[in-house]
Amino acid sequence: MGAFDNLLLRADESITGLFAQWNVWTSLIVTLFAGFLTYQISTRRDPDIHPFLLARQAQPSPVRQPGESPVYRSQAAPHGMPLQAGLNVKDPGASKWARGRDGDLRDIWRQVIAGVQEDGPSKGATGRILTVEGTEHVVEHNLADLTRQINLIGRYILDRGGNRVAIYLPNSVELLLTLFACSFYNLTAVILPFDQPDDAVISMLRRSAADTVVTAPGSFPFDEVVKHYPSLRQLIWVVDEGSKHMDWNEIPQGTGGSAVNVSTWQDIIADPPVSAGADLPSPSETPKDVTIFWQNKPGQTEDMVRFTSANLIAAVAAQLFAVPTARRMSPADLFLPADSLANTHTLALTLAALYSNASVAFNSSSPAAADLALATQGIAPTIVSANPAALLKTHETVMQKINSTVFSREAHSLQTSALAQDGVFAPAGFLANYYDSAFRPKIFGTEPGKLRLIFTAERVGAETPKLSSTVLSDLRVITGARVIYALTAANVAGAVAQTNFYDYRVTKDEEKEKCSHFGPPVTAAEVLLRDKGEYKSTDEGSKGEIIVKGPCVAGKEAALGVVGYIRHDHTLALI
Amino acid sequence: MDYVQQRVAQEAAKPDGAGSAPSGLLTPLNIILLSVVLYTTFSYLKPKPAAALPKEAPAVVFRTFTPRTLLPYNGENNMPVYLAVRGRVFDVTRGRNFYGPGGPYANFAGRDASRGLACGSFDEDMLTKDLDGPLDTLSDLGKDELEAMAGWEERFLEKYLVVGKLVAAGDEGKEETQ
Repeated sequence: MGAFDNLLLRADESITGLFAQWNVWTSLIVTLFAGFLTYQISTRRDPDIHPFLLARQAQPSPVRQPGESPVYRSQAAPHGMPLQAGLNVKDPGASKWARGRDGDLRDIWRQVIAGVQEDGPSKGATGRILTVEGTEHVVEHNLADLTRQINLIGRYILDRGGNRVAIYLPNSVELLLTLFACSFYNLTAVILPFDQPDDAVISMLRRSAADTVVTAPGSFPFDEVVKHYPSLRQLIWVVDEGSKHMDWNEIPQGTGGSAVNVSTWQDIIADPPVSAGADLPSPSETPKDVTIFWQNKPGQTEDMVRFTSANLIAAVAAQLFAVPTARRMSPADLFLPADSLANTHTLALTLAALYSNASVAFNSSSPAAADLALATQGIAPTIVSANPAALLKTHETVMQKINSTVFSREAHSLQTSALAQDGVFAPAGFLANYYDSAFRPKIFGTEPGKLRLIFTAERVGAETPKLSSTVLSDLRVITGARVIYALTAANVAGAVAQTNFYDYRVTKDEEKEKCSHFGPPVTAAEVLLRDKGEYKSTDEGSKGEIIVKGPCVAGKEAALGVVGYIRHDHTLALI
Repeated sequence: MDYVQQRVAQEAAKPDGAGSAPSGLLTPLNIILLSVVLYTTFSYLKPKPAAALPKEAPAVVFRTFTPRTLLPYNGENNMPVYLAVRGRVFDVTRGRNFYGPGGPYANFAGRDASRGLACGSFDEDMLTKDLDGPLDTLSDLGKDELEAMAGWEERFLEKYLVVGKLVAAGDEGKEETQ
């Protein structure tokens, strides 16, 4: 036997010897290991989006002007192509392949009535329009009846010489109907933020030169307005069921406001025959502008911004596009604007929901609600647009509960890492079920489905509380819903930039006040940063005052007055 | 086969019980297996670094050239290749084989190529001689020639980046003050 044979013999003997040690422990280890591998392989899931798409979310232009950063655009709206400007409305009978019209506000209401047009199981389905009254009473509105109201109100205001219609209402179906009435009857709508001090209301009426006001009794300082704003010609009270019997047409004594024609919404609707106003007019001219008042810090005067119909439509189109096709809003969804409709962001989202034939619920008290559970009281929306303060409050309450025991804290951090690391929501399982039943706020409940999407927005200059990416991630885990965080500004309808639908990452390198980034610009806008003071764009990075251009911007270009920078993943963040 | 028979006999000859396994947890076999398990578990569960793409090349800053400052951008000494058409400076570095040194259009590199492209001629005398003088106004060109130039311009706009504008020497900064 040679040396090599000896070696083989040695190896053979040692391997035999090694496996001769097999005992019950060994079997246990091998079994557990096999189980672990099987579990890992069978539960492995792909992330919702390819990580590279999140690693570079916007596209910079290859050339930049001196003193400016490159122009950044969403990957979905490449340079050299026009930015997204319209809804691509296909008229009945038009070729299936022809490019649709950009559309205007009227097309949104026509779509609400017509229902889903695409072929499929939900063809023809329409969304419902609901009003939440009090804590649990929900009223459903008949769509044909709402169309009739749009017609009668629009016709009434127009016949009495109205031109500029101020809407001073809480979140309600009447606010939206007046807006549509203005678009169908060629009136200028002015949406005032609700619940403002008397002098602010008067100053806003004066600045917008409104001649007609649609408002609710109890909140509108009628006497004061008549005294200080003589140009007012018409007033329409939107009275609720309980006080319908009172005579609202009477003008209070001693105001001298004989020039003001006072009526109530309910009378305008009730007086004409039932058959009147069933058909919507189709004027050829595009709807007039919509004026919005942007609330700055408390104590500062509001910015008055005139948006064209095209601005608003571009904002709506961008919001529709921001949700991936597989997850877009549908008649199965219920959208709740839990932030003021006087914000173009909330308004654009609501219009987007209407255009998608999703159901929409209005709750006049939700914009002021302290947290998400209160804002969604009485109804279980699948999509909600909430203000950051309410989300932060919900986050604080639930996190306090989670942090109280070691087990729940660990469960939360496991869920968080699964979401942020794997890029996919944890599947239903023992841990997830325990977690949901223990911490998910109960209101996000049953009908029509569970909450799946939260929109929220930072308002530039309004001192809204900032949300960090950790808070956003916690909110995703707590609610089981995706969260889109947007940057909004006075002169931009809808959002300037917003986080990707599928972006669940937790970023550790946030600069200012632990504020998350705002993702790439929306498809209707492009963003560049102009040098400001010490903040300059160089070959290393882009910093400076945020400038927005595009079809959703009033006046084509807007400087936001705040300094931002572009992160390494090409997302916009504030400094 | 001899070997196998020999080994079988050898193993069979072992007294009963002598080869029975030790019952402890920490046998060498178990230690080896445990370390394999630990390693695999760790590599499965350890946090993966977030995906990151390499940084893109920084954007070119748009600048204003005069005929003299445009001259160095002719592709020699590792410089990019620029050429100007009707006041617009194009970065044609990607077409270096044509416009760079030794290419058929090399004369145009770093120069105002408007007249040459319009006339379809690559000769030296198509270039503006006086680098410090006014820009070529092209006013003497005919309709066909202007059309030819517009065609070139369109192609350039499709293929190449506009990285600056060309003004006559002494005119820099004039537009900003206007």
